[in-house]
Amino acid sequence: MRTSSVTLALVMCVSAACTKGEKAGTSEAAGSQATLHTVSGTSIAVPHAGPAGEWQMPAGDYSSSRYSELSTITPANAANLHVSWAFSTGVLRGHEGQPLVVGNTMYVITPYPNVAYAIDLTQPGQPLKWKFRPDNAQQAAGRACCDVVNRGAAYADGKIFYNLLDGHTVALDAATGRQVWRTKMGDLTKGETITMAPIVVKGKVIVGSSGGEMGVRGWIAALDAATGKEIWRAYNIGPDKDVKVGPKFKTFYAHDRGKDLGATSWPGDTWKTGGGAVWGWLSYDPKLNLIYHGTSNPGPWNQDQRLGDNKWTASILARDADTGEMVWAVQTSPHDLWDYDAVNENILVDLPIKGKTRNVLVHFDRNGFEYTIDRATGEILLAEPFVPMNWASGIDLATGRPKALPPKMPSEGKNVTDICPSLEGGKNQQPAAFSPQTGLFYVPTNNLCMDFQSRRVTYIAGTPFIGANAPEKGGPGGYRGEFMAWDATTGKKVWGIKEPYPVWGGALVTSGGVVFYGTLDGWFKAADARTGKLLWQFKVGSGVVGNPVTYTGPDGKQYVAIYAGIGGDMGLLIAGDVAANLPYDVRERGTTLPDLSRWTSWGGELFVFSL
Amino acid sequence: MKSQRVAAGLLGVSIIVAASACRDSNAAPPDPARQAIVPAPQATRSGLADGGDSLRFVLHEENPPVGFPLAGKFLNLRNPYEGDKKAIATGSQLFIAYNCIDCHGADGSGAMGPSFQDGRWHFGGSSGTVFESIYEGRPDGMPSWGGRISNDQIWMLTAYVRSLASKDLSTENFTGATVERTGH
Repeated sequence: MRTSSVTLALVMCVSAACTKGEKAGTSEAAGSQATLHTVSGTSIAVPHAGPAGEWQMPAGDYSSSRYSELSTITPANAANLHVSWAFSTGVLRGHEGQPLVVGNTMYVITPYPNVAYAIDLTQPGQPLKWKFRPDNAQQAAGRACCDVVNRGAAYADGKIFYNLLDGHTVALDAATGRQVWRTKMGDLTKGETITMAPIVVKGKVIVGSSGGEMGVRGWIAALDAATGKEIWRAYNIGPDKDVKVGPKFKTFYAHDRGKDLGATSWPGDTWKTGGGAVWGWLSYDPKLNLIYHGTSNPGPWNQDQRLGDNKWTASILARDADTGEMVWAVQTSPHDLWDYDAVNENILVDLPIKGKTRNVLVHFDRNGFEYTIDRATGEILLAEPFVPMNWASGIDLATGRPKALPPKMPSEGKNVTDICPSLEGGKNQQPAAFSPQTGLFYVPTNNLCMDFQSRRVTYIAGTPFIGANAPEKGGPGGYRGEFMAWDATTGKKVWGIKEPYPVWGGALVTSGGVVFYGTLDGWFKAADARTGKLLWQFKVGSGVVGNPVTYTGPDGKQYVAIYAGIGGDMGLLIAGDVAANLPYDVRERGTTLPDLSRWTSWGGELFVFSL
Repeated sequence: MKSQRVAAGLLGVSIIVAASACRDSNAAPPDPARQAIVPAPQATRSGLADGGDSLRFVLHEENPPVGFPLAGKFLNLRNPYEGDKKAIATGSQLFIAYNCIDCHGADGSGAMGPSFQDGRWHFGGSSGTVFESIYEGRPDGMPSWGGRISNDQIWMLTAYVRSLASKDLSTENFTGATVERTGH
C-alpha cells in the first residue's frame, strides 16, 4: 500500500485514538497535538448570502464555504453549549442537508415525502408558521439508490426552492407556504429522481438529476425562479450540442478538447444510459459567471460494458450560468472503475500558491485526491491524496489524469481485493468547510476499502444498472473515518480526529474559531479550528448525516442547528440494521460497520444549541 | 412503447421486456392460475417450515398493512416450483439477470428494497402474494413484471426469494463478547 507524507502527520494524532478500553459509547476525539499551522492571505471568493446571522442557501454562500462570521461561541466557552430546543420532522430516514434561516424563520425540508416546515423563531416553543406536503409519487422511494434523502432548499426573492424525490422542482411563497409553481424535471420510469439542493443564480434555479445507479443520462438545468419555466438544460453525456460544448469551451488539457467527446468516448450508444448525474453541491462565481458542479459515476459500474473515457462522467464541470455552456472540464476519474463520482462540493477560495494569490476551486474527490484547480481555466495546480488510497500512484499534472495502478483495476470474472478508498470515496456528500481565519479546510472523510467483482448487466429501465458486487471493509489504521483540517496550498493534513465510523455529516466553521460536525453514531461535536482539540460533544437522538448551520436568533444569541437522522448510503445500505419501523424488513448487522446499530437507530430530529 | 431485446446471459435465454417500467400493453398477460398445481409447504408449530429437500424457512406471521387493498386474485395460487431446488437455482440466476439483486441485495440481504432473509413480508409471504408482488409491482417502487417475463419465471423467482428466508433476526444482543468496535 502506498504511503504518503500525509500519513506521517496522521500518525501523530492516531496514537491516542488507538488506546484500548475507552468509555463505551463515545467516539471521543483523540487529543490532538496543537499544531497551530495556519495559512495567511486567504479569502472566500463570494461573501455570505444575506446578513451574517442568516443562512439563506445550502452552504451559506455561493463559494460553498460553510463559514460564518458569527463569533459568540468560541473555544473558550464552547463547553457551555446546551440544547435550546428540538423539533421532530416526523420522517425517519436519512436527514442529509441543512435547514435555512431567513429573517426570524427557519425552513426545514424532510427526506421523502419532502415535507417543508417554516418554524417561527420569535415565539417560545417555536411554533410552525406553515407546513407544506407536496404531491410526491410513492414509487420514487424505490427508485432512489441510496435512501430517500433531500439535501435542502435555497431561498431567494421571497421564495423557497427545493426538489422532490419524484423529479419535480417546487417554489413556495416563503411567507405563506403556498406553492407558487411546480415543474416536472425528471422521469421516474427511467430511474430519475432528485435529491440535490438547488442554488438560485440571477433569477434562475439550478437543479440536477440523481440516478447514476439506474442508467440515467445525467443533466443540469436552469428554471426561471419566477415562473418555473425551464431556461436551459445541459446533459453531461452525449454529443456536443446536448452537453453544451461550443465556442466557449476552452478547457485546459488538450486531450479533453475534440468533437462530441461526450459520445465518442463511449462504445456505440452506451452513453445513452451512461449515468453522469448531478446529485451533489453547486457553486457559483459571479465574476466569472460560472457555475461549478460535479458529475456522478458512469453506468454501469461494470467497466467492460463501456470501454473509453466515458466523458463527462466523474468530472468537475464549469458552465456559463446564463446558458449552461461548458467552459472547462476536469475528469477526475476517466473511465471510472470504482464508482468514484465527482459530485462533491467545489469550494471557491483565493489562496496563496507559490507566492501568488490564485483564484481556485478546492475539491475533495471520492477518488481520494484533493484537487486545487484554477477556477477560471480548469488547470490543476495540485492534487494530493487526503485519505489512505492505493488505486493510483498520483495525478499527472501535465495531463490532469490519474496514474492508475493495474493491480487495482477490475475486469469481468476477476475479484480485485482491497481497493482503497471504497466506492463510498475518501469523502462523499458530506461537505467540507473553509475558514479564511486559519486558511484551512475542515474535511469529514471516510476510511473504507473494498473488493470488486464485475458482472454483465442488462439495462432494464427503472431498475438498477450496476453490474458489480463491491463488499466494503474498514481501511488501514483501525478507524473508519476522520475529521481533518487540510492545507490546500500544499496538499497536507494539519490535524485530524479519528472516528470509529465514516464521518458522513458535513462541517461548519465560524469566525469564533470553532468547527462543528456530527457522527454516524450520533455525537454532535465542537472542536478548536486551530488545533483540533475537542471542546464539547452531545449525543443527539440519531446518527448525523446532515450539515450544521449557525444563525442569530431574535434574542441576539448565536445558535447552531443540526439534523439527527441516520440514513443515506451509510444508514440504509451499509449499516444494515438501524431501522426499527419496518416490521417486514429486519436486516443483519452490517459487516462494514459492525455494531453501529448498538449506538443509533433511524430518526428525524432537528437539534438547536446555544450557550 | 419501445421494446428492447434483453439477453439473460446467465440462462442462455432471451426475453422481451418493455423499455419502461410499465407493463407492455401489447402483451396479453397469461393466466397465472393455470400454473397453480403444487401445494405450498405447511408451517410447523416451531415457526420453521420444511420446504422439501431439506430447505428450511423462517416464517413470521404474515402482516399486510391494515387497509391495504390486496387484489386477492393471486392469494390462493400454489407455486409449481415450491421447494424445487433446480427451479430455485434458476430463480437465483433470474434474480441477477433481471437486476433484482441490486435492489434487494446479494442473497436478498436488503438494499434499496427490503430484505428477504428475515422471513418477514411487507405484502404477505405466501407463494401467491409473493407472485402478486412480482407480477403487479408494489407502490414503493417495485416494478411490475407481469407480461414482461413469463409466469414460469415469476414462479421460479418466487420460489427463490422465499427460499432465502433462512435467518431469525428478531433479537440482536449487543452485550456478548462479539461486540466489535474499532477506533476508540
